[in-house]
Amino acid sequence: MGSAKDAPELIKDGKRVDGRTPEDMRDVKIEAGVLKEADGSAYVEWGGNKVICGVYGPRECIPKHEASPYKALVKCRYTMTTFASVEGHSRSGPNRRSREISKVLTEALESVVLANEFPKTQIDVDVIILQAEGGTRITALTAAMVALADAGVPMKDMISGVAVGKAGGVLCVDLGRDEDNYGESDIPVAFKSRSKDIVLLQMDGLLTKDEISQALDMAMAASEKLSGMQGEALRKEYERTERKESFRM
Amino acid sequence: MAEDVREMILKSVRKDIALELLKKNERADGRSQYDYRKVEVQKGAVTTADGSALATIGGSKVLCGIKFDMMTPFPDRPQDGVFMTMAEFSPLASPMFEPGPPRENSIELARVVDRGIRSAEVIDTASLFIEEGKVLGLFIDMFVLDHSGNLTDTAALAAAAALADTKVPKVEDGAILWGQYEKEMKLPMKPVTSTFIKVGDKLLLDPILDEEYAADAQLTIGTVEGKVSCIQKSKNGCFTKDEVLEAIEVALKKGDELREFV
Amino acid sequence: MWKGDLLKIVIPGEMVWDTPKSVPHTYVEGGKTYAKVVGLMRDDRFVPLQVSYKPKVGDAVVGIVVDERGPGYMVDVNLPYNAVIPTRKVRIKLPISAAVFGKITFVDEVGNTDIGYVKELSRGKLVTVPASKVPRIIGKKSSMLEQIKKETGSAIFVGNNGYIWIVGGDMPLAIRAIDRIILKATTNGLTDDMAEWLHEEKTKKVK
Repeated sequence: MGSAKDAPELIKDGKRVDGRTPEDMRDVKIEAGVLKEADGSAYVEWGGNKVICGVYGPRECIPKHEASPYKALVKCRYTMTTFASVEGHSRSGPNRRSREISKVLTEALESVVLANEFPKTQIDVDVIILQAEGGTRITALTAAMVALADAGVPMKDMISGVAVGKAGGVLCVDLGRDEDNYGESDIPVAFKSRSKDIVLLQMDGLLTKDEISQALDMAMAASEKLSGMQGEALRKEYERTERKESFRM
Repeated sequence: MAEDVREMILKSVRKDIALELLKKNERADGRSQYDYRKVEVQKGAVTTADGSALATIGGSKVLCGIKFDMMTPFPDRPQDGVFMTMAEFSPLASPMFEPGPPRENSIELARVVDRGIRSAEVIDTASLFIEEGKVLGLFIDMFVLDHSGNLTDTAALAAAAALADTKVPKVEDGAILWGQYEKEMKLPMKPVTSTFIKVGDKLLLDPILDEEYAADAQLTIGTVEGKVSCIQKSKNGCFTKDEVLEAIEVALKKGDELREFV
Repeated sequence: MWKGDLLKIVIPGEMVWDTPKSVPHTYVEGGKTYAKVVGLMRDDRFVPLQVSYKPKVGDAVVGIVVDERGPGYMVDVNLPYNAVIPTRKVRIKLPISAAVFGKITFVDEVGNTDIGYVKELSRGKLVTVPASKVPRIIGKKSSMLEQIKKETGSAIFVGNNGYIWIVGGDMPLAIRAIDRIILKATTNGLTDDMAEWLHEEKTKKVK
């Protein structure tokens, strides 16, 4: 959370910092099959976020002693480029934040990947945040799902989500960077597309139970739209007469 | 372990066939000896960076982002800004890349690209001086996103284009004003590299992945307009002097083709 | 949702039939059948468009010998783990890095895979393709594959595992033909389109 003296006015005349209403989502663009080498891949632009994901596997589990005799191990790695945020140059390599997000994303993916069909293997899901603007973990999850489907990894369902929260005293959908940094609460949440079960949920700030219930309802409605977009991206890639294996940012 | 053995064997399998094709003057994708694959460059790909470019050669893709930061100068050059070049081989780029700290091949690539930029004095470090003990520093960071052969030329192209796209930030009271820019960085010259491999006794420009596996030796020639700025020979085979000179001649010419994209 | 006999692409978790059916790459829940992978609905059949290769007994495979151990030869068949040619099943001596063509004779739930009916292939080029595209490369009654063999003069061995071995003939043309089929795998009339393309490419070369 940023310091109060830098905080912009988050809500003014019912409009948010970037002119959206509380229910508006930022623009989302999803492309599948954008990399040549990876078994599956996806590129997502969500507002000012630009994220790429590549999937390899199921493949041999390395190190061998980590392999499970019952299922494939899903390993999702979330990393950022050193130039992803507007402020300054970040150090490369994992840090505590990226390791926590990697764990949370891995667990969300494990809830839908049919890992028992490929024992003793691993499935690598690498997501790179090329450019960040609030809500990167949800953007990462959106890309990871499409990349896994593109790789032909069998799954029970797709997952889609959104970060909801409170900014300027109002519950809002799809927090942008300023709302993420200066708002009162941030709730990234993701659902299975068909069953609507919650597979990812985190929260910070102070909210009443009713506010959380309302926020989750708003998130569910927004996630449905996202889920439609994921399907469209996959359909578009397979309807193409030629597989693209390239992308423009 | 098993992956390395498999790679070694696939390499020997690929080498046999590359040699056979080359006897008939053929490359697997129909190119001639000194052709580049399709080149594409997108400048300004990342708006949070001070300069950026996504370069694609064939299937290989490298994203370069440039960021300024306030730094202390080197003690022996107190009036000059500094710059550092780094390359990250992301695991999503190739089934062969593992996560972890940089390995020799990514370190070598970064240093070769850096040498090309530094030798040609493309960055005006004197203009980055702010005040005593404070200079602007540039981080030239290249992220490999797709490895389909010849990452060096793809990365060098991304770096040059990112530099051409770079704007110098505004500085006030000895601190950078993030997101606000003063002027464009003008490049006096455009540094690129041209990489050759040797298979049998044939030189090939811009090796695709299979050809890299078949290569005995590799030679990267960095050029700016009309001059050579760096050379790096790698792998354990060798080149004759004539081969090196031939590569230089081709690199100067082909480098100009790449410079069109910067 | 799928309606009537329209060609439709389904994604994982989407309902394919509202009755329970036992069809590969789908699963049943609450009396309905859902897709596990991205697939195409064609004539009430579910055709997976992108799947990791799962070996089954009877599959033809192309492999590369990577090791020789007690149980037999270890063969790379583009799976997470190498397949085995049991020693007792093979009479010829196979060198490391030999290419072989065989059939899968045994598979179990933990990924152990055996190959039999093995023959060694002569020097050639290995091309790797997604396993789901192999049927396209072979074509109806082998029509697509035969066409490529004829126009290139190459001997081409296609494994269900996604490994293809090309011997002799116009290898670069054969490789580009295969690449083109993969890129255009979802179009109709591809066999005729490839016939035309192959003819054009050969004419170009002669010039």
